[in-house]
Amino acid sequence: MKRCLGILGLSFLLVACGDDNASTNEESKGNVVATTGQIADAVKVISGDHLAVTTLMGPGVDPHLYKATQSDLTKLDNAEVIFYNGLHLEGQMQDIFNQMAEEKTVQAVAENLDKNKLLEDEEDATLHDPHVWFDIDLWKEVVDVIGDTLVEEYPNHKEEFEANEATYLAKLDELKEYTAGRIVEIPSNQRILVTAHDAFNYFGESHGFDVRGLQGLSTDSEYGVKDVQNMVDFLVENNIKAIFVESSVSDKAMKAVIEGAKEKGHDIVIGGELFSDAMGAEGTEEGTYLGMYKHNVDTIVDSLK
Amino acid sequence: MLSGNLLWVLMGTMLLGIAAGITGTFSFLQKQSLVGDAAAHAALPGIALAFLITGQKELPILMIGAALTSALSVYCIQWIVTYSKLKADAAIGLVLAVFFGIGIVLLTIVNRSPLGNQSGLNDFIFGKAATMTKADLTWLFISAAIIIIVSLLLYKEWKLMIFDPVYAKGIGLPIEALKACLTALIVMTIVTGIQAVGVILMSALLIIPAASAKLWTRRLSTMLIFSGITGGIAGLAGTFISSLRTGLSTGPIIVLFAATIFFISYLFSPKAGQLSKYIRKVKFRKQEKLS
Amino acid sequence: MRALEALVVQNLSVAYDKKRVLENANLIVPKGHLAAIIGPNGAGKSTFLKAVLNQLPNKVGEVEILGKAFSPKSLVVGYVPQRNAVDWDFPTTAFDVVLMGRYGSRGLMKRPTKHDKQLAMQALTSVGMEDYADRSIGQLSGGQQQRVFLARALAQNAEVYFLDEPFAGVDAATEKTIIDILKNLKAQGKSIFVVHHDLQTVKEYFDYTILLNKTILAAGKTEEVFTAEKLQQTYGGNLFMMQAL
Repeated sequence: MKRCLGILGLSFLLVACGDDNASTNEESKGNVVATTGQIADAVKVISGDHLAVTTLMGPGVDPHLYKATQSDLTKLDNAEVIFYNGLHLEGQMQDIFNQMAEEKTVQAVAENLDKNKLLEDEEDATLHDPHVWFDIDLWKEVVDVIGDTLVEEYPNHKEEFEANEATYLAKLDELKEYTAGRIVEIPSNQRILVTAHDAFNYFGESHGFDVRGLQGLSTDSEYGVKDVQNMVDFLVENNIKAIFVESSVSDKAMKAVIEGAKEKGHDIVIGGELFSDAMGAEGTEEGTYLGMYKHNVDTIVDSLK
Repeated sequence: MLSGNLLWVLMGTMLLGIAAGITGTFSFLQKQSLVGDAAAHAALPGIALAFLITGQKELPILMIGAALTSALSVYCIQWIVTYSKLKADAAIGLVLAVFFGIGIVLLTIVNRSPLGNQSGLNDFIFGKAATMTKADLTWLFISAAIIIIVSLLLYKEWKLMIFDPVYAKGIGLPIEALKACLTALIVMTIVTGIQAVGVILMSALLIIPAASAKLWTRRLSTMLIFSGITGGIAGLAGTFISSLRTGLSTGPIIVLFAATIFFISYLFSPKAGQLSKYIRKVKFRKQEKLS
Repeated sequence: MRALEALVVQNLSVAYDKKRVLENANLIVPKGHLAAIIGPNGAGKSTFLKAVLNQLPNKVGEVEILGKAFSPKSLVVGYVPQRNAVDWDFPTTAFDVVLMGRYGSRGLMKRPTKHDKQLAMQALTSVGMEDYADRSIGQLSGGQQQRVFLARALAQNAEVYFLDEPFAGVDAATEKTIIDILKNLKAQGKSIFVVHHDLQTVKEYFDYTILLNKTILAAGKTEEVFTAEKLQQTYGGNLFMMQAL
């Protein structure tokens, strides 16, 4: 009994001490918290070295399922500005954001985009697909929103922030061209992107791909045998060469799909791992939005061409 | 259209149902079904620990972790009942809550790590039968075979041990070893079953087929066969129903089907069902009136 | 060659939680007796039985049954324990229960043979329960259940039998059946030990008496041991059935 309590106490300690870098911020820098890596990346690029930016959901973390812990609440409490995606991406955290909004600036960066430009949720017409970062034009607008918010909060850095933002937007344009250039390498009947969940609809829309996910828009949506079968049939009928696993989602389903297709005589490989809801490890190329996007594009094109 | 994925899931859940029906019968007769529930929930921290310690998400490694904590929970319960003032129900509740709680905390840690979500550990809470592959089938087949063979071998010893433990000891049956063996089989069933139906619903598979079978027969051998068949049918039918539409999770439907079988047994079983009891009552009253 | 005693007990002590339940019990009982073990409640009679049958790991002292320490494989001892630990809901028939008596001799994992089944049926018949062979054990009356359990012990074809309160909660007809069977066993030269609670019937049923209250106070032929004085010693002042003697 005492042993059991001891183990329980130990695990609580482990979680509490997990990643608590909120307390190590320097006094002089402003404190900003972003949920996803993509958002944090934009904040860091725009603000240069002037702000301390914390990412809540690191590499490999699934924002649809993410539940905030006590240490997260502390980080959010200490922040001066909070950025989150909105559109129900951070499905389990809405109450917390509403609460925080009463005391500080909380910006849902994708929430105020023109709804006509957004894709709808197939299952619920009142909801929208939140994975906007895969449409570079939409993401440029998001970057704008972030820039405006930061300038409002920290007006003494206005010029520098705006300059950084302009440079970044130019880089995003370059990324768009790069992507378009690579995609033509894939024969048009092979431009079908199959992944674990419906994260890539915006990618498909903006670059002319047919996109299919096994699970719906959120990774907590249920899927069953029929979904797997339908996916297998789709792959066989369309003669697809490769499907893709995601860094933040279990790959068991994709592997089951591949085996199912093999059983029907159709050989498919895993084309590679894509970054869907999360980016790569911090400090690496894939840990930045530009690097992540490029990685995805290269992986997709190299496997399907 | 019976091929590929559907066939694998059908076979896998059928084998699981048979195995759970058989071991569940022994556990049910020992009046230890709830211990099975605790053991199933207790598999969760083991899976998380196995992943955290080894960094591997391969099934055999996770299964070893699950088996260890599952078995540990059974012994924790026994230990608490023997050495404290708590009775079995409190001990079971306590152990279940603590182990499962630790499991959830560990899963939170896993989910915040870079490789955590890809490990698919979350699927063990509610199960993911839909993604069964040939490799999973192999494990299930071996487990089911072991369970059936050991049950056949130790059938009479377990029968006596559960029915009259004092006499069993008296004629020299190695009770502790036999109990340990049964616990091992139950843990093995749990560990293979949680992939399909998850830790939360696993106990349903251990209890419902056995409870249904008890309503139909007075002999242990028949009860075992019925229970195995019920479990197997629940697996088959549940999977088949869940394959008719998209977005239907297999595990819960299997449990619902098993529950339906129980409900039908409860009402209509010729020996113990409510309907036949009612008919007998009416007949008896009629006879009374006549005489 | 020395004739083997049915039961030899030397300095047997058993303690639970630092309480001595049995202390320095010494006993030598020759073969061929139908012996009663009597004593007040809490005297340690069931403990004595379990200790003799090597079921208590915390016992101290020596026990020999027919010259050997008790081990189920080396010596077959018929055992009829108290009925309260049994699970009456268990799906098994009367015949199945009796057949269980053959399990010890078989060894683990071997199936019962035709011979086993014959012996079981014979035992069931000898207690008058052959018509109930297929009945579920939970459907039988207390007396019928006790007869089935006796049959189970008989099926073991033992030389020595130990019964723990076999007449508790049993009707008069069943009691007669049982005691007749036990007397029959004695006539065949077997040794029977019975933990018994009814002082009224001791003289009638048993030719040997063992008085037990935390230790063996006396043991011997009933007419010698079953006296007012010795009973007084055993039961303290609680004996109000003296007049029955």
